[in-house]
Parts: sequence; structure tokens; C-alpha cells
Amino acid sequence: MKDPYEVLGVSRTASDSEIKAAYRELVKKYHPDNYANNPLADLASEKMKEINEAYDAITRSRGTSGSYQGGYQGGGQQSSGSYSYGGGSNSSYAQVRAYINANQLDAADALLNTAPNRDGEWYFLKGTIAYRRGWLDEARQHYQTACAMVPSNYEYQNALRSVQGGYTPYRQTSYQRSDMDDACNLCNTLLCLNCLCGGCR
Amino acid sequence: MFGYVRPRGDLLEKEEFAAYRAAYCGLCRALGKQYGFRARFLVNYDMTFLYLLRASAAAPCETALCWCPARVCGRKRCTLDPESFGTVAACTVILSYEKLRDNVRDEGLFKSLPYRCLSVLFRRAYRKASRRLPDFAALCAGQLSALHELEAARSPSIDATADSFARIVSGCAADIQDTGLRRPMEQILYHTGRFLYLADALDDLKQDCDKDTYNPLRYRFQVIDGALSAEDLDYMTQLIDSSVNLAGAALELMPGKAYGKLLENIIYLGFPAVFFAVKAGKFQAKASLWKKKPKSETTGDTK
Repeated sequence: MKDPYEVLGVSRTASDSEIKAAYRELVKKYHPDNYANNPLADLASEKMKEINEAYDAITRSRGTSGSYQGGYQGGGQQSSGSYSYGGGSNSSYAQVRAYINANQLDAADALLNTAPNRDGEWYFLKGTIAYRRGWLDEARQHYQTACAMVPSNYEYQNALRSVQGGYTPYRQTSYQRSDMDDACNLCNTLLCLNCLCGGCR
Repeated sequence: MFGYVRPRGDLLEKEEFAAYRAAYCGLCRALGKQYGFRARFLVNYDMTFLYLLRASAAAPCETALCWCPARVCGRKRCTLDPESFGTVAACTVILSYEKLRDNVRDEGLFKSLPYRCLSVLFRRAYRKASRRLPDFAALCAGQLSALHELEAARSPSIDATADSFARIVSGCAADIQDTGLRRPMEQILYHTGRFLYLADALDDLKQDCDKDTYNPLRYRFQVIDGALSAEDLDYMTQLIDSSVNLAGAALELMPGKAYGKLLENIIYLGFPAVFFAVKAGKFQAKASLWKKKPKSETTGDTK
């Protein structure tokens, strides 16, 4: 096993609060939500496990409580970044999701192409296969169709958001683009002006 | 190559800037040592990024003062890492030679003459590099042939055309045995290849429209007067942002952070800055990075 202090990136003389802060920072970075739909979700999951084990080892060795309440407990469907088919009449969709989770994208695509109907789920899965391949233009078009067909589905909406650019949580704030900041500042200024002029009544 | 993959030099700390420059000079030196003096002209920012990625998992290498042909008097500090530079230099030679051959195929008999001459000059180096990385050389030839077929068929899919090129770039990591290192690196390189292809397509759009040559953006979007609409440019930016996000997520999973700050700068700041310049028609591939001062040497503005 790796040195737990090295895993958390802290020195052996670090205080408990510094260790907790480093742990929270790493959990935020490698949280499964950041790797949902990412082909490397399994590696992120392993990394989370390593971080949790390192934190537990340090807290045990220091005699402090190992059950950190604010931490990520792991487990659950989302933790591995995998899909589960929650409904619908076409059982082959469940098999397609299983292929996607196993990164067998050609098999998933071939099976999906044999489906008789092209509903929202079909377009969502087609988009997911494209996204996993890195074909982001195609993925976005399929996700848009899925969202248009089933507007109330949060899974489809989240998937669409992932291909609409924007900045994901693991990116450090120092790497935010300046033109993005300027645009946000401008929007905030306009909103404030609108409120001051009575637009918020 | 293209020169699109570069850091924001003005946002690097002095030490990071020096490390980047030492890696660039180290690659130049390795090219000269292994493939002869003329191969030094193939050094570029894109392949320096590949070196930084490959070397990031290992401990930082030693540097030394080396003779530089660009400086008649004086020497430059360069990184000494024969193993990683050996592979990166071979990839550089293979990719550069294939690009020359690609230009020979694309241009007419007269205009292709300089490329023909250059490809003859680098043929020997290419053969030597191919012996070192035979699988990569075969992958390049196969994917470029697939790309030619897509171009001949006037493919409207920017994904399919970018995929051929992105596979070549991600193939630069195919020789790595450790899957925990190879998989994140392949994802970073795939999206780097995608970024290169799309940035180049946007950069060449006006010229391709004037010459009536193939450009995937001409068949994917509505092009008016050799330019995309503001809406389509926003769409392209979002595609690049998504690639940056996927490359960034993979970077976080790379074991070892020897060049972590530099790589973060290139992916999070360099990619968007270069694409922004390409969109504005202000990107200069030959603009030297070395004229810009690193962050710690400037005062005031930190963006």
C-alpha cells in the first residue's frame, strides 16, 4: 500500500484539520459525479478508494475518529460511473447499457442499431456511445434529440450539459478563463442595473 | 506539426517556463543526435507537450547546458532524458514525414515540389524512426489513408475526420505498458488530436473556401464568405471546451505530477487561448513563445 500521507499530499507533521482539508479537496476532485459518463470512470473510482483508505489509515493511526461525516462514503450506482436501465419496454436497452459500462462500444452500437423503435432512450444511448468515443458533435446532436423527445428526463439533461462545454468542478478556479469572467461580470452588472431600475418588482 | 499546443507563457512561473524551454531544447537536441542535424528543424511545441506528458509520470530529469545551433555563441539549458526523448523524437519524425507526404498528395505537381524535396531529405530519418516504432508508423499510414477516403467522399462529419487524426495522436502513447498511465494519456492525446484538427480546420477555412478544397467545416456548417456564423463559432468553442474538460479529467488521473502545472497550463489555458486566437483570425503559428516573459517577470496583470 502507498504511503497514506503521500496519497493525500500532506506532510507527516500536518495537523488534523490540514489532513481533513486535503482529503476534502481530493474527494471534490475525484468525485464520481465529475467522471459520470467518462471512459475513465473506473480509474477515478479506484483513486477515490485509495484516498478513502489513506484517510482512514491516517485517522486510525492518530487515534482520531475515522468516520468523517462530511466525506464521501462511496458505494451506490453512481460511484462507478455506470448506468442502469430504469424503465421502458425494450429490454435490449439494458444490454446496451451493460456493453457501455464494459466499454464494449462496438457491440453496444451494433445492438442499438437493431432496435425497432427510435425513442428518447435510443438517442440517449446513441449519444452516450458517441461521447465515450470522443465524438462530441454527434453525441450532442443525439442528446439534444433525446431531451426534445423526453424533456423531463434529468439523466438526458445532465448528459447534454456535459457536451455543452462549461467548466467542470475538478478544474481549479485559477484556470477559469478571463473572457468567461468578463462575461459573468457583465451579466451580474446588467442584473444589478435591472434591479436598481425596478426590474425586480 | 501545427504549433497549436502551447502554454500561456505569460501565466507560467519563471521555473515552469524554464522547464518548458529545457524540454523543448532537449527534444531538439535528441532529434539532432538521433536523426541528424536537419531533423532539429522538426522540433515543435506540439511534440514538446507529448514529451511533458510522457515524462510527467517519472521523476524530474537532470538538465545541462547544451550547444544550440540557433545561438551562434552560447549554450542553452536542456533536459537530459534519452529514453522519453528517444520515443518522442521518433514520433516527431514519423508525423512530420507523413505530413510532408500528405502535402505532396494534396498539392499539384508544381506546388508539391518543395514537399517532395523535403520528404526525400527526411526519408532516411523516417525509416530509422519506423524501425523504432513500427506499430505507430503503420497506424499513421492507415489512419491517414482513412482520412483521405473521408475527404474524397466530402464527409460532413467533423467527428469522423477528427477521429482519424486524433487516433494518430493518441497512438503516441500506445507503447506504454502500464494501463494506469496509458489510458489517461491516450484520452488526453485523443482530445489534443481533436483540438489540433478542428483548430486547423477553422484556421484554414477561408483559404479552403477560396481554393474550393475540402474542409469538414464547409460541409458541417453553413459557411458565408469563408467564415462561420457567430452561433456556429460558439458551438465549435463548446466542442473544444468539452474536449478540454475530458483531457483535464484524464490529466487528474495521471500518476505522477513532475510537469503537472505546465500540463494544466497547456490544457486549461493554452487550448482555449489558441482557439480564441484562431477564431479571431489572429493566430500566428510561427509566433515565438520565447519572446513572452513568464508571470513572475511581469507585474500587475495575472490573467
